[in-house]
Amino acid sequence: METLKQQALDYTLGVMPKEDSLLFEALLENDEDAMKFLAEAQEDFANLSLTAPPSSIGSEVRSRVMEYTEPKMDFDPFLSSNDINDLRDNFSAQQNRYQGGQASVDLADINEGGIKDEVLFNYEHLINLLPLLSGDSKAAAGDFSELQSNLRSSPSYSQTIGKILDYNLNSEDPATRSVLRTTLSSLPSLSFFSDRLREDQANMADTRRLYYLCRDQLKIMRASFKDLDPQRLLEDEKLRLHGAGLLHTKWWGAEHAYFSSKGQVKCGYFFDGPVTERCVEFAEYDANMYCMANLLAPRSSTGDFHMELLKDAVPGATLAVATAKMELSEHQSLMYMTSGDIVTHGVASQDHFLWKLIEDSMLKGHKSNNLKELQERKIFGINRLGEYTYLWFAWPAIL
Amino acid sequence: MPTIEKDLWYRIRDGDSSALVELYDGFAGAMFSLSLEILSDRWEAEEVIQDIFAFLWRKPQSYTPEKGKFSSWLLVLTRNRSIDRVRSRKRRLDRGESDEILSGREDQNASDGAEQATASDERSHLRRAFQKLPPEQVKVLELSYFKGLNHEEISEQLELSLGTVKSRIRLGIEKLRHTLSTLRT
Repeated sequence: METLKQQALDYTLGVMPKEDSLLFEALLENDEDAMKFLAEAQEDFANLSLTAPPSSIGSEVRSRVMEYTEPKMDFDPFLSSNDINDLRDNFSAQQNRYQGGQASVDLADINEGGIKDEVLFNYEHLINLLPLLSGDSKAAAGDFSELQSNLRSSPSYSQTIGKILDYNLNSEDPATRSVLRTTLSSLPSLSFFSDRLREDQANMADTRRLYYLCRDQLKIMRASFKDLDPQRLLEDEKLRLHGAGLLHTKWWGAEHAYFSSKGQVKCGYFFDGPVTERCVEFAEYDANMYCMANLLAPRSSTGDFHMELLKDAVPGATLAVATAKMELSEHQSLMYMTSGDIVTHGVASQDHFLWKLIEDSMLKGHKSNNLKELQERKIFGINRLGEYTYLWFAWPAIL
Repeated sequence: MPTIEKDLWYRIRDGDSSALVELYDGFAGAMFSLSLEILSDRWEAEEVIQDIFAFLWRKPQSYTPEKGKFSSWLLVLTRNRSIDRVRSRKRRLDRGESDEILSGREDQNASDGAEQATASDERSHLRRAFQKLPPEQVKVLELSYFKGLNHEEISEQLELSLGTVKSRIRLGIEKLRHTLSTLRT
């Protein structure tokens, strides 16, 4: 009997060897004593749990949890559309995954000295900012003074973005593309939350969002400029699976901003399981998700948009989909900005660049040098079903 | 312990979202406090809580009444998910991978604010009962339950035999139950 009690304790603590654990589970099916001792152990440890000092959970967590109970968007029409059927018919996963390096450039490759300075300044500032935003920082405990003082001590990131975008960025050389990736993917949203936190009404939800954005921006920057922080980049290039949960956590119920446009993100279909093998690959994936969000946020007619990762929809691939309800004119403008090589000025050119960044990433992720072929295979694209516009890209699954 | 009505799980299982709201409002705080105590990271603790609620909504059959009290099961699940994250963090550091989030961290001495809030009588009882345990049992229970160390690791760290570690856990938990029942009467 004592052994059984000990087993129940060990099982509850999760310290049983796997085989013993399975044997104990088998015992639970028909041994009343085992069941009784397990229930007793759970209750005892639950009592111990309640000795933890009480802390308040953020109200936005409640909103996210409740959002999960709402009816999910029906993706069947999209998944049975001609484009996705074509993708399914033409998708074949390659053996070797993207491991970083391809098209990554040195800072020295940037022609404009002013841009180089901005990139370096941003990186160094963000590296110092990250610990002030982390889950065990003073800000996470409700004391925003140090964080705000840090943010106010340097120019707003929106000014940095403005300065960089003032340069001529039409060139298709890899250095210019790296500048665009690090300026237009996660940085606009980062600058929005950072500006809001600089004001007096700092709060936990914005701090948390800025933490994720800051972490992502740093990884995207390292993946884009290989001499920016070689030591950390080495770690980013190591084999370490990154799960869909990481994406779900940060997009689920998030407020997203792209310059003056804001949107509320909804997620319903994320799966459990790995998406990429390394940080550098995850940075590519992340940058693409931000680019899609940035294209949708200003155009959504409801203010919401969906970000989803769908597994098994296309054999051999994970399918990232972003969709929003939008007016036909907005959809048409999106199609115009993302087709061909038209580069106009201002916001339109930025949208054009966002799509170009996704195209670049598809070439890397699919180890291809033939963009047209990827387009024809519907590896990525835009379509419209009813009042909804869908953006998607397929990425080789980890099988 | 915050009360969770027995029928709450049945209602969640049947897809009643108001039951999940009730569960969240009544119990998420206790789950979060536990997770935060283990992880010392607010964002990670929030992630654990939202993941558990999503998991429960998606797979309510993971719990069955035969497994004991719903509230106990939830707290143990919270503890185990939090410990999984601690172990994964430790594995990364053991592999020599620095973690920009872990390095450069500051001590989190700032009080949460909620700590000063009136704790329930039940929690006061529990804390008093825990404090009444012999220090050597408190130490072993803390390392085992809140830090997620296995018996071998505790044995090594405290230079105790495996048998002593196990018996201190068992005696500690039994004594906690006994003291608690005395305090409650």
